[in-house]
Amino acid sequence: MSDAHALEHHEPVTSTGVPNKKILMWAFLGSDCMFFGTLISTHLIYRKISGTVGGNALDIRDIFDIELTSFSTFILLASSLFMALAVSAIHKGNLKSTRWMLFGTIIFGAIFLACQVYEFTHFVHAPGNELTLSTYRGEPHVFGSTFYVLTGTHGTHVAIGVFWLLGWLVYSFTGRMSPADAMDIECCGLYWHFVDIVWIIIFPVIYLMEYAM
Amino acid sequence: MSGHSDDPVADESKRFFTFFNLSMALVAITGIEIVIIYIHPFGSPIIIGVLFATSIVKFIGVIWWFMHLKWDKIINTVLFLLGLVIALGTFFAVIYMADTHPEIEKFEVTELKNEWSTGTEYSKGDYVVHKGIYYKSKENHKALDEFSPDSWAKAQGIPHRITYKINIADLVEINSKSPGNPFFHLHRPEDHENVNVSDVFLLARSATTQDFRLKVRSEAYWTESQ
Repeated sequence: MSDAHALEHHEPVTSTGVPNKKILMWAFLGSDCMFFGTLISTHLIYRKISGTVGGNALDIRDIFDIELTSFSTFILLASSLFMALAVSAIHKGNLKSTRWMLFGTIIFGAIFLACQVYEFTHFVHAPGNELTLSTYRGEPHVFGSTFYVLTGTHGTHVAIGVFWLLGWLVYSFTGRMSPADAMDIECCGLYWHFVDIVWIIIFPVIYLMEYAM
Repeated sequence: MSGHSDDPVADESKRFFTFFNLSMALVAITGIEIVIIYIHPFGSPIIIGVLFATSIVKFIGVIWWFMHLKWDKIINTVLFLLGLVIALGTFFAVIYMADTHPEIEKFEVTELKNEWSTGTEYSKGDYVVHKGIYYKSKENHKALDEFSPDSWAKAQGIPHRITYKINIADLVEINSKSPGNPFFHLHRPEDHENVNVSDVFLLARSATTQDFRLKVRSEAYWTESQ
């Protein structure tokens, strides 16, 4: 939905011609970029300067399950398509389609979260390769701290997005949802796509890079 | 930049195919990334470069089409890029500053006071003490029964062997702590990793390791011997 379309729904706009809510969301996403930028930087720095554990090179591939993470990446990418279609549907006034697309996004987001919960549980309890917040294979190491904080923060963003979408899904059953809500749903969509692009960076930088080296 | 028509419903209908195609492209690119990791067709630097490039392509695809920047006013793009540029600036600055800390694995200063002795094989540059005077061998030779001044030159100070081993360094400084025994040595290793040096220097007075300060730099980080 373009800014001009928003005007047709009588959204309050700033002097720039951009709706208030949208400009606020973009400013927030810009600041969230900085937030994730520091987390990713921290992980990469400590990965570089703490490359050994117990005198041996840290090889985290022993614990990573790249098939599972690849699957959850595809799931998150697919959820973005559902989200884009939900925004498109509400703008066209197609409430039934909006509802289904929101539902699809929620389900795929929930699958992603389930994969992450499974992954974290698997890492913490991997026999002989336990990765906790402060240790790897029982030896003190910082990898777990930066990894869990980064991917956990992303997971928290996904969870917030799922609850936000769930709110819209429930709202759609009240009979009060209309194309006038398009801007709100679009802001929700912007947030969801942002979560997607953060994962687009995290997946190759944190996971795939380990296999490239 | 807005690029919309008077019929928003028609616009949205057209975008369905854009969104679908983009989604398929994102899945395909991610698939390529994973395949590259599995079959390792190139060296690590190229693979990392490819991952970097594909991530940028996917990133731009999502923000441009899924997040509607293509159709929105440019102020939204500017707002987002502002945060992104600051994040990238922070990222590169921190990565630059986070070079490996140099660690001094060994630092020793020992006086060379080997007494000259008959029958010993000496190499050019060896130092000996003979009757309280330090000499430097001019050539490879075997010591005869009598000290031969032709094979030796008087040393212009007291020879000390300075040895240091550092994991990573681009600059090494050695300073004397005692004013009566001035010494300053600066070394810029060509190979920054595993710097291992053992060399002989002439000093005005006898000294030990405690009489010197070793300072090592690796990019932004300095380390100093205790």
